[in-house]
Amino acid sequence: MTATAGSVCLEVRDATRSFGGLVAVNAVSFQVARHSVTAVIGPNGAGKTTLFNLISGAVPPSSGRVLFEGTDVTHEAPEAKAARGLIRTFQLVKLFPELSAVENVKVGFHLRSRGGLLAALLRPRAIRDMEAAIEDRARALLHLVGLGSAADLPAAALSYGQGRLLEVARALAAQPKLLMLDEPAAGLNGDETARLASLIRDIAEDGTAVLLIEHDMHLVMNTADEVVVVDFGRKIAQGAPDRIRQDPAVIAAYLG
Amino acid sequence: MDVTLIGQSLVSGLGIGCVYGLIGIGFCVIYNASGIVNFAQGAFVMLGGMITHVLLVRGELPYGLAILLAVLAVALLGVVIERVVVRPLWNRNAPMFVMILATLAAQIVIERLTYLAVDDQPKTLPVFTDLPPVMVRGIAVNMQALWIVAGSLAIVGLLALFFRTTRTGKAMRACAINREAAALQGIPVHSMLALAFALSAGLGAIAGIMLTPTQYTAFDVGVPFAISGFIAAIIGGFGRPFGAFLGGLMLGVVQAVAILFFGAGLKTVVALSILLLFLFVRPSGILGLAK
Amino acid sequence: MTSSPSTILRKAFPVPAQPAPRGRLAAVAPWLVAACIVGYALVAGGYPATVVGFALIYAVFVSGLNIFMGLTAQVSFGQSAFAAIGGYASAILTTQHEWGWLPAMVAGLAAALAAALAIGYPTLRLKGHYLSMATLAIGLIVHEIAVEWESVTLGYLGISGVPPIDIAGYEVSSDRAVLIMLSACVVATALAVARIRSSRLGRAFAGIAGSEDAARALGINVARYKLVSFLLAAAFASLSGSLFVHVVGYVSPEVFSLHMVILSFTMLYVGGIGTVAGPVIGALVVSVLPETFRSFRDYQDLAYGAALILLLIYAPRGLAGLFAALDTRRKP
Repeated sequence: MTATAGSVCLEVRDATRSFGGLVAVNAVSFQVARHSVTAVIGPNGAGKTTLFNLISGAVPPSSGRVLFEGTDVTHEAPEAKAARGLIRTFQLVKLFPELSAVENVKVGFHLRSRGGLLAALLRPRAIRDMEAAIEDRARALLHLVGLGSAADLPAAALSYGQGRLLEVARALAAQPKLLMLDEPAAGLNGDETARLASLIRDIAEDGTAVLLIEHDMHLVMNTADEVVVVDFGRKIAQGAPDRIRQDPAVIAAYLG
Repeated sequence: MDVTLIGQSLVSGLGIGCVYGLIGIGFCVIYNASGIVNFAQGAFVMLGGMITHVLLVRGELPYGLAILLAVLAVALLGVVIERVVVRPLWNRNAPMFVMILATLAAQIVIERLTYLAVDDQPKTLPVFTDLPPVMVRGIAVNMQALWIVAGSLAIVGLLALFFRTTRTGKAMRACAINREAAALQGIPVHSMLALAFALSAGLGAIAGIMLTPTQYTAFDVGVPFAISGFIAAIIGGFGRPFGAFLGGLMLGVVQAVAILFFGAGLKTVVALSILLLFLFVRPSGILGLAK
Repeated sequence: MTSSPSTILRKAFPVPAQPAPRGRLAAVAPWLVAACIVGYALVAGGYPATVVGFALIYAVFVSGLNIFMGLTAQVSFGQSAFAAIGGYASAILTTQHEWGWLPAMVAGLAAALAAALAIGYPTLRLKGHYLSMATLAIGLIVHEIAVEWESVTLGYLGISGVPPIDIAGYEVSSDRAVLIMLSACVVATALAVARIRSSRLGRAFAGIAGSEDAARALGINVARYKLVSFLLAAAFASLSGSLFVHVVGYVSPEVFSLHMVILSFTMLYVGGIGTVAGPVIGALVVSVLPETFRSFRDYQDLAYGAALILLLIYAPRGLAGLFAALDTRRKP
């Protein structure tokens, strides 16, 4: 598979990570194209979250490389990768519990806004305008994920599913080039999942590549353009959802 | 510089280093059981010497009995702190910095109670054995320093035995490795935490009792000891009890030699410089972090 | 704000920002109480004015601490060191080198920031307890230096005869003038904290306080912002130290001890950590209620330490939380 550099957002080459004797991720390679949704699936403990952590920079790989927009970012810290436009959510939602929902999203605008101590203290016109714009857009994002009416509730008061959606809204605030969602549908009800699926499609059509780890096969089959299957740390299959569904290796991994 | 003088410093450095090491082990034991850095560690050291002094002088008890009672009393206090201060915060999932703050507040409360109950005068204890110093190549090694070194080594050995062979010791190590997994295996994690406080308080008390005859104790000596013990723990790789002991020895020796060159007034400055040096160059300590 | 490459936002129809429902009482009550206490001291003068003056200096100090502890959820035990650096710089430069109070204060600030940088840079990249212990140590070290470096600090004797602050030729030395000046400092400090809190900088701090992993994933450089927060706290500590020596006219090593650290934590938790008014109301209440500056000196630290433990366990939100609870809870 030779994709031209222009259409490839993320490339993972032979990513490997071992913890002690255990090889959690073993020489996994794949690419994520712009405008597309790529899903990583696999049984529990297959190494999906470790793979995610390797890509996002939370855990350094033992070997292999991660290329983002053609640049080697293998050893960059999470915040440096975020600044390049690689934004992730967490399997166990990590909200800012003391802040309201809308304030959570406003923190997400960090990379897309300016101003340090002087701007905070003097608060010139440009900064006031920026703050107003951030407020409006944060509320719009909450509305987009279906949390418009919960904007002023403290994040700690949201349900588990709402918290997940809030995390997605917060990630979108950073205007990612690659949005990485770690089990975004876990804990969501049917309506919320349907809304999330259409949102993920919209995000991809806007030009943001989406990489998701998901257990909800329905969501994966409905949204993903490309599916990567891992088991015991290895990639065992890759392809369009329809093909993956019939792949004997995949069926064996899931049923055996 | 006179070689004997340096040798003399090394000997006294090793003595005090053992004490730092024991305090450092105390930090690690609690940290491993709970992730908490107990800032009241210094209070245990101070109280060990102080309670022994009170029992000996005011209670007129035999020395050995006074020591035993003091160690038990301080170990009990460790459990009380765990129950009264740490447990409620632990149960409501308070952030780590709140727990650290609470243990420092406990340190202050103990300090002030001691001040009110005794006074602010420095207290000392008699040496364990009243014999003249042993001379080794012109270096005088006083008996108390030998007691400290021998006592510390014995304690470290017993601890190693405890962690390796006893059921409780193994359970504590399991908690250190993974608290949730330990709980799932039916290890009573809460009791382990109380035990860790008792153990580490007892260690601190013994360290304080052994050291007091060569120095002195007063209500406010705890915090500097706690800092030295903490530095020892960092040098050894935080969370490694025996690394902390080595770290304590290193710190004691370096500090003793530094005092020789710069004077005793800058003792804490030297200790902190070592701390900063390690934090800059090798924050994981000489042996690397535990886990 | 950079332009958005995304059209997602355009699809969502705009939602007008509603004014956040706010507890009026919760917002105003602490300031009213504070104003009453200061007003009483202004009228009464004398001893009450001295007590409230000290409280206002503490309000500046604790507000700085609040940036680091309340907004960023980090802990420092060595803020007294930065107050000492500011205070001693002001005292030494004005009495021994005939500097003006303002340049001396700025020099103290610079020295305090340098010290904070030296401590904070290596430790803030590590887990919280490294910084806590390093700051506890710097508190002791600065105390040790203040005692030992007798040729400059005069040791335990302390430095007396520090001139009062003068503004445009007017010497701020009467009880009331001092109170008014300090009140202005507190208002300016509170305003600064409020603005920081609701800015991009404050949101970065809040992100770190909420979840460091999430903050990093959103591009917030956690180590750098922790350092900024720590430097800000050190700056307010240094300024309050300078204010102290000019108001009292004297400085000695005991002024900036572990006692000061525990007292300031108690104030922070009494008033309400993380709020703008909390440090101010906490400093005033803790200073005024127990008649701090008289008889029971021996019991003070004991009381503060015990109160602090109780607050941490039973009332982690302090008076600010109490005011908010009194407020009729918003229910749409």
